[in-house]
Amino acid sequence: MLNLIKKEIRLCLHPTAFIFLSFAGLVFVPSYPYEVIFFFSCLSVFFGCMMARENGDISFACTLPVKKEHIPLAKMSVIFGLQCIILFLVGIMGAIKGAIFPIEQYFNYSGISANLVLVGNGAILLGIFNLIFFPRYFKNPSKIGVPFVIGAFVIFFLIGVFIVLRWVTPLYSTTLNGLNSENTGTKLAALAIGIVIYAVLSAASCKLSMKNFQRVDL
Amino acid sequence: MNALEVRELTKAYPEFTLDKVCFCVEQGHISGLIGRNGAGKSTTIKGILRLIDAEGSVSVFGKDFIKEEMTVKQTIGYVGGGFRYYPMNTLAAIRKTYSPFYPTWDQNKYERFLAQFELIESKKVKELSEGMKVKFALALALSHGAKLLIMDEPTSGLDPLSREEFCDIILQLVREEGVSVLFSTHITSDLMRIADDIVYISQGKILEACPLKELLCKYKLARFSSLADASAVNAIGVKAVKEGYEGLLTRDMQTSESIAVTDATIDNIIVHLEKANEEKKNVKFD
Repeated sequence: MLNLIKKEIRLCLHPTAFIFLSFAGLVFVPSYPYEVIFFFSCLSVFFGCMMARENGDISFACTLPVKKEHIPLAKMSVIFGLQCIILFLVGIMGAIKGAIFPIEQYFNYSGISANLVLVGNGAILLGIFNLIFFPRYFKNPSKIGVPFVIGAFVIFFLIGVFIVLRWVTPLYSTTLNGLNSENTGTKLAALAIGIVIYAVLSAASCKLSMKNFQRVDL
Repeated sequence: MNALEVRELTKAYPEFTLDKVCFCVEQGHISGLIGRNGAGKSTTIKGILRLIDAEGSVSVFGKDFIKEEMTVKQTIGYVGGGFRYYPMNTLAAIRKTYSPFYPTWDQNKYERFLAQFELIESKKVKELSEGMKVKFALALALSHGAKLLIMDEPTSGLDPLSREEFCDIILQLVREEGVSVLFSTHITSDLMRIADDIVYISQGKILEACPLKELLCKYKLARFSSLADASAVNAIGVKAVKEGYEGLLTRDMQTSESIAVTDATIDNIIVHLEKANEEKKNVKFD
């Protein structure tokens, strides 16, 4: 399993996987729907899968002395790792922004501020994308477009939902918005809920993908 | 114990069915998997390696492939034609990723193969010719002490000298290390040179699975002046040739002096058995 993960890192990571991590810096852009940052993370998964297809990566992996079900597990483990990094970076960048920017510049007029709740929202978005994309992708690894389009559509719909919530509900517009130092307990609870949803959806995605991959014809 | 036992391997596609394929590869033997394009050779190999979801069972040195997948795969070296993976990566990068999967990896052996095949590790896969890609795949497969080599048309991209070299290496591996080999090919001269056994597949079914000598002794090639002569002796897979007709006869069949009989080559056997198979299929549909 460890060797498979090393293979993923050495041979399968598309450069955009790293480039899009730097997009965590978009939290410094004023009035921007920061949840879009997590869509870029999903886009890097798409590019990575395209690259895997062009490289014959999955066929190659199947000939290695590994269990067939470990192949999706290794691929997804690396992607989950990258997703955790982007969540972490967004959290850190948001905290830095909160520490160095005046409150009027920290406040986001396009969506929720770059705080812990944003990280929780991002975790929910990524978890849902994982559940939509990977089981479909591992059913037929040569068809990447349809699972991605479905995933991207749902992600943008949910981003829209989060933006609407920020403007129409007091919970999102006041309690969960603004600096981490305000209503910290509630924001931490929102973050924890997001992380739990991410973990549950990603684990379900993993299990379904491994099951679907058993029946794949390469 | 057989090196490889394939039992009732079945895979149904909308327009093709691999139908209960059964055969064995004995330890220390070289088995050639032959058949026309689309007969099911590659599907059989993919089914053995679980690259497709096929029914049936496969055991390698007595171990069930599914139950002991990781152990079994350690003993297998697979060459799927040329090395078609990671065109933008260097051979060194691929080797560095590939070798840790095999505790038995022999770096010295690998370097000997690189030198023998004149492969340069700093080159990218896309910079290799088709023949060199086959050689690289071979170098990887042969350097981890595989006891069973499974190869899907390994010689198809090679020039005659490289093919000869390939055959020499395979024979050497079999003689010195007791490696067993299953390889599919269209090049029957390679089979004549190294194969001990033949597995002949047609339209997804095994028509013959026996020692090469037995197959060659089983049939003789007969030339007839008329179709009536061929029908009279129930010749197999009769087809028109430049002068008269040609068909196979079983070796024990007595023939009149008017029928010219010669030894059948593998090509003759494949062509006429295939023809007979097609005729049977047409009769079935009629």
